[in-house]
Amino acid sequence: MLRFDPSGLRKYTVIFVLLALVGLFSLTSPYFLTTRNITNIISQNTYFVIVAVGLSFVMIGGGIDLSVGYQMSLVSVVTAMLMVIYEQPVWLAIIAGLVLGTLLGLINGIIVTRIRIFPLIATLATSVIFQGISYMISQAKTYRNYPEAFLFITKSKVLGLPFDVFLTLLIVVLASFVYYQTIFGLRVMALGGNEEASRLAGINTRRLRVALYAICGFVVAIGTMVMISKSNTTHSSFGPGTEFIALTAAIVGGISFMGGEGNVPALVAGVFVLAVVGNGMQLAGWGIYPQYIVRGAILLGAVAFDEYQKNARRSRLAKS
Amino acid sequence: MKSDYVVEMRGIGKRFGGIHALKGVDLELRPGEIMGIVGDNGAGKSTLMKILSGAYLADEGEIYVEGRKVHLHNPQDAYNLGIGMIYQDLALFNNLDVARNIFVGREYSRGPLGLMLDKKSMYKKAEELIQELRVDIKSPRLNVARMSGGQRQMVACARAIAFQSKILIMDEPTAALGVTEAGKLLSLIRNLKERGLSILLITQRIPDILAIADRVFVLKGGQRQAVLDVSQVTLDDVVTMIVRGKDPNGINAPSVEFQSFG
Repeated sequence: MLRFDPSGLRKYTVIFVLLALVGLFSLTSPYFLTTRNITNIISQNTYFVIVAVGLSFVMIGGGIDLSVGYQMSLVSVVTAMLMVIYEQPVWLAIIAGLVLGTLLGLINGIIVTRIRIFPLIATLATSVIFQGISYMISQAKTYRNYPEAFLFITKSKVLGLPFDVFLTLLIVVLASFVYYQTIFGLRVMALGGNEEASRLAGINTRRLRVALYAICGFVVAIGTMVMISKSNTTHSSFGPGTEFIALTAAIVGGISFMGGEGNVPALVAGVFVLAVVGNGMQLAGWGIYPQYIVRGAILLGAVAFDEYQKNARRSRLAKS
Repeated sequence: MKSDYVVEMRGIGKRFGGIHALKGVDLELRPGEIMGIVGDNGAGKSTLMKILSGAYLADEGEIYVEGRKVHLHNPQDAYNLGIGMIYQDLALFNNLDVARNIFVGREYSRGPLGLMLDKKSMYKKAEELIQELRVDIKSPRLNVARMSGGQRQMVACARAIAFQSKILIMDEPTAALGVTEAGKLLSLIRNLKERGLSILLITQRIPDILAIADRVFVLKGGQRQAVLDVSQVTLDDVVTMIVRGKDPNGINAPSVEFQSFG
C-alpha cells in the first residue's frame, strides 16, 4: 500500500507541512508545545476529523457535499431534543440521529444521481433546506444538559484515551482499511478516476454514488454526536462552518477536487494543519477573526496547488 | 439449437432522437475468426458494437450468442456471456495501476463475505497476463497514466482476456499508435485469435484488416453492405464498398444521414 513511488511522495507533503508548522509555533510561543495545549488541539478537533473522513468518501468518488454543516445542525437538534425534551433513552436518540444522518446523505445522493445536477449546487440547495428544517424543529432554541450517559462520548476513557479520540482513531483506521483493502474502496477510487469507465467495467455507478453520500451522512452524524457531547449544548447554528473546515482539510490533505485520489493519514494531517494554524495564531494573540482570512487563504492556496500539480502532470504526459 | 456462429445479430435497429443510426443490421461471427468492421464516419460501426457489448440498448432486433438468444441490458450482462470490448477512448483509470485497471469491476476477493481485495492474486494474475501477452509492461504496479498509447492498449487487452472473454470487440485499437506499436498490437491480436478468441475489429485502416482479418463487414449509412472474404478481395474492393455501398451504380445507395456516429 505504501510502496515507494517518487510522485507518491507528494501525497505526504501535508505531513511535513504539519511538522514544520508545529516547529514554527513551538519557537514563537512557549505555550504551544505543552502537553496541555496539544491535548486541547486534539480534543477540539476530533469531530472535524470524523466529518472530514465522511466527506472524503464523497470527494474521492468525484463528488462534493457542501451540506454536511447543516446535516450536523439538523442531526444535533433532533438528537438533543429527543433526549432533553422528549426524554427518550440515550441509545434511541443516538440511533435516531445516525439514521437521520444516513437519510440526509441518501437524499443528497439520490438528488445528485437522479436529477443529474452539479453536486456543488445540489448540496448547496439541500444545505439551505436542511437549515430551514433544523430551525423549524428547534424553534431556534438552545438545548442543553444532556443525560450523563450521552456525555460518556467525550468524558469516558478507553485504553487510556478519551473515548472520542479513540472513536476518531477507530474511524480513521477503518476508513483507511476500506480504501486500500476492500473491493468497495477500489471501486470508489475507480469511480472518482473515470466514471464512464467504471460504468463500462460493470459497476453500478449510480448506486455506488448514492451509497457514498449515505456513508458520508452516517459518518458526519457520528461526528455530530461527538460535537454536541463535547459542548453539552445544541443550537441550530452548531455545525455549519464544519463543511468548510472539512473541505479545506481534504484539499490540503491531497484529496483532489476531481476525485480518485486521496489517503486518510494526509487528510487527518490536513485537519491538524488548520487546527495548528488557528491555535498558533491565538497563542500569538491574534484573536479569532483573522483565522477566517487565513483559512480562506489556505483553501485558495491548496486548490491552486492541486490545479498546478495536475497541469504539470498533464504537460509531462503530453511530452512523453 | 447448435449454431455455426458464436454471435448472430438479427435486424438490429437503433435511433438516437431523429437519427436512424442502424437499420435492420444482420451480423454473423464465426468461432475463432477475426472480422473487420469497416465503414465511413457515421456508418454505425461503434454503435453496432456497443450494442453487442451492452453499452447501448438496441431499439429492435435480436442477438444470439452461441445459438442462444440473449438480452444485453448493460456491460455486465455482456461480460457474463464472455463478450469483452476495448473502447476507442480506452476506458482506463489514470489514477490506478495496471493490475487494478485490469481487475476493477471483477476483482479477486478474499476474507469474510468476500469483501476484501485479494491483491496478491490480482498482482500475480496480472503478471501472468503480461507475460502471456508478451507485452512490454515492466510491472503490474505501474500507474497507467504515464504509459504510451500502445502500452495502454495492452492493458485494455489484458483486461478483456483476464475475464476469459470468448468474443473480443476492439474499437480502432491502432488509431493512435505509431507504426511499431501498431505492428505489435496486430501480432497480439493474432496471438489472441490463436488462443481461440473470436474478434470483431473496428478500424479505419483497411491494410490492417487485410493483414490479419478473415472477413470484413462493411457498413454504410447504418446498413450492412457486404461481408467480404479477405483472401478474395483487394484494398480497392473494400474501399469501393465503403464509399459506394452494395449498389455500384449509386442509384439506390443509402445516404449517410448523420456524420457524427462512428
